Amino acid sequence: MIEYLLLAPVLTGMVCFFSKTRKQVETASLAGSIATLLLGLLLVWQVYKYDIIITWQNALFADAFSAFIVLIVSIVGFVASLYSIGYMGHELDHGAMDLKRLRLYYVLFHGFMFTMLLVGVTNNLGLWIAIEMTTLVSALLMILYSKKSSVEAAWKYMIICTVGITFALFGTILTYYAAVNILGETGDALNWTSLIAVADRFDPTIMKLAFIFILIGYGTKAGLAPMHTWLPDAHSEAPTPVSALLSGVLLNCAMYGIIRFYTIATKSTGIDFTSNLLIIFGLLSLGIAVPFILLQEDYKRMLAYSSVEHMGIIALGIGFGGVFGVFGAILHMFNHAMTKSLMFFGAGNILQKHETKEIFNVSGLVKSMPVTGAMFVIGTLAITGSPPFSIFISEFTILAAGFSQGHYIATVLFLLFIIMIFAGFFNNVSKMAFGTPKQGIEKGDVGRLMLLAMGILMVFVFVLGVYIPPPFYEMIMKVVEIVR
Amino acid sequence: MEEIVFGSGIMQLLIALILVSTFMILGSTRLYSCVRAFGMQSFLLACVAGIVAFSTGKTDIYIVAFLTLAIKAALIPYIFIYIIREIKVKREIDLYVNISPSLIIGGILVVISYYLIRSINLITELSSFALSASMSLVSIGLFIMISRKKAIMQMLGILIMENGLFLGAISLTYGMPLLVELGIFFDVLIGVLIMGILIFRINRTFETIDTDMLKTLIG
Repeated sequence: MIEYLLLAPVLTGMVCFFSKTRKQVETASLAGSIATLLLGLLLVWQVYKYDIIITWQNALFADAFSAFIVLIVSIVGFVASLYSIGYMGHELDHGAMDLKRLRLYYVLFHGFMFTMLLVGVTNNLGLWIAIEMTTLVSALLMILYSKKSSVEAAWKYMIICTVGITFALFGTILTYYAAVNILGETGDALNWTSLIAVADRFDPTIMKLAFIFILIGYGTKAGLAPMHTWLPDAHSEAPTPVSALLSGVLLNCAMYGIIRFYTIATKSTGIDFTSNLLIIFGLLSLGIAVPFILLQEDYKRMLAYSSVEHMGIIALGIGFGGVFGVFGAILHMFNHAMTKSLMFFGAGNILQKHETKEIFNVSGLVKSMPVTGAMFVIGTLAITGSPPFSIFISEFTILAAGFSQGHYIATVLFLLFIIMIFAGFFNNVSKMAFGTPKQGIEKGDVGRLMLLAMGILMVFVFVLGVYIPPPFYEMIMKVVEIVR
Repeated sequence: MEEIVFGSGIMQLLIALILVSTFMILGSTRLYSCVRAFGMQSFLLACVAGIVAFSTGKTDIYIVAFLTLAIKAALIPYIFIYIIREIKVKREIDLYVNISPSLIIGGILVVISYYLIRSINLITELSSFALSASMSLVSIGLFIMISRKKAIMQMLGILIMENGLFLGAISLTYGMPLLVELGIFFDVLIGVLIMGILIFRINRTFETIDTDMLKTLIG
């Protein structure tokens, strides 16, 4: 089952590679991403039935947490490939890229999907390899346009994330060392399934050191401050559908790595050490995002800083702990993925219409692009945590967890920061959304497929704000059990 | 048993030579000699892995030693030389920190690593010599990345860090499971290729590979 899921994007990429015309490559990509989505859902259903699936001599496995990541990857991947057809087609029509580049884009897009799915289903904690692979593929996606700024962003991304991931490798080596002392030198000594059973017997000193390295390493990839410096560059310079994948999904994959190690490390070091570290990094990320969102002049960068903020919130949720904290954090991963992708798609529409990323040069969106404008404003309400949208539920749960677990100062700071971010976001977006449209901007929205992609995401943003379906709730509860 | 392997004279000599090769990179202003010193460092690492493989008799480690030789000591230096030749960069390295302070800082980093490893005291049965050399490589690699202007030197810095971790892994646990090691080799190789592509791209767009130019995206 897991093999087929991994095979789908690989095959799709190959078919895209051999496609001759634009029509062919687009059809192949869309069909492939639908197949990936269906296989992803099938995997989720199987995990729901059997709890855990292990194949390929223990190399691949899926429990509820893996299935959860697979769910996010395949949903956002499907929507992004739908959006890509409109967005990249527009780029092709306007001469921003040629057919060869377009084909390369789709090949890399599905390669990127493969690496992210691999992160979710690797049993071995050499999940390091998969995370490094995501960096490699996405750096190539960033330099599809040979603009100076994209090349600069890609280089920074590549260098900073590779160094970060090197630290994570050191953390992994230390964990392996701790495991070998208990399990003996077997090939299984890094397998999640065998580690978790004996994690409480690991040497706490080593695990403390390992967790610090892992947190710094994967934290770089997850965009936790102060290692986030590459993130706004990379996320704002990548082609928009890729920005959505980077912000919505890839950050979650890195977070997944941190949370897996958190579970293991906590068993040996005790909960105070790991939780406090997560709370500190979480608050720092929230705090750093505030001034950059308040004073931002580039709307794509604003969204990127908002991703730093939300990763901070997830780290806080895990750090606060308890059923509520972890539940909120896991739910927040899903909600953030959907809402942030929606926002990036909106930003992509605006970018293609106005050909500028500056907030000052955009106004009157609600009039000039009614559908995009409306969804962008609703998305803004959602991403800043206003009721009745999905992020409100998860943020509120995390807040409640903070108070109930007695982290008063951290929770008050958290509340303060999100209020300031709300104000900053709204100040910026209202400049863009209202007023009279700039001269020379005709009325009318961009392609239908792009709006359809946004519409699908809107459903998640609305529905999860008022109602969490019981199977989904059960799935998250299973993840919470695994993490705690 | 680990004491026997890592405490032996030949092993200590190899590890000392690895440190020497790192200082050769630190002390050189010519790209070619940096690449050559890196090749030598990787070759010495392969020897370390080879000795560990011989004394433990594990096939896995033989494979790892061979891959280190083939990929890190031969293929990657070759890729470097190819890049340097193709983009026709000036063969000298521009520095933010001059050679003599660089060497002094390198020395300080080695001393700090040594005391750090000693103070952690987590591996009594292990030769802390190998591990502190490994820490030194990681920190000197980082220092090279931030003190040299050329993009190509940042790439080299990352690889030195990676070599350091390899030494750490092999001295802590005789390396990782084979599957993981293979994956790491794969990632390193692909990473080098992609960084190479990026360097070509930087060269084409900015007509230089000095990272000074890459400072426009702020805030």
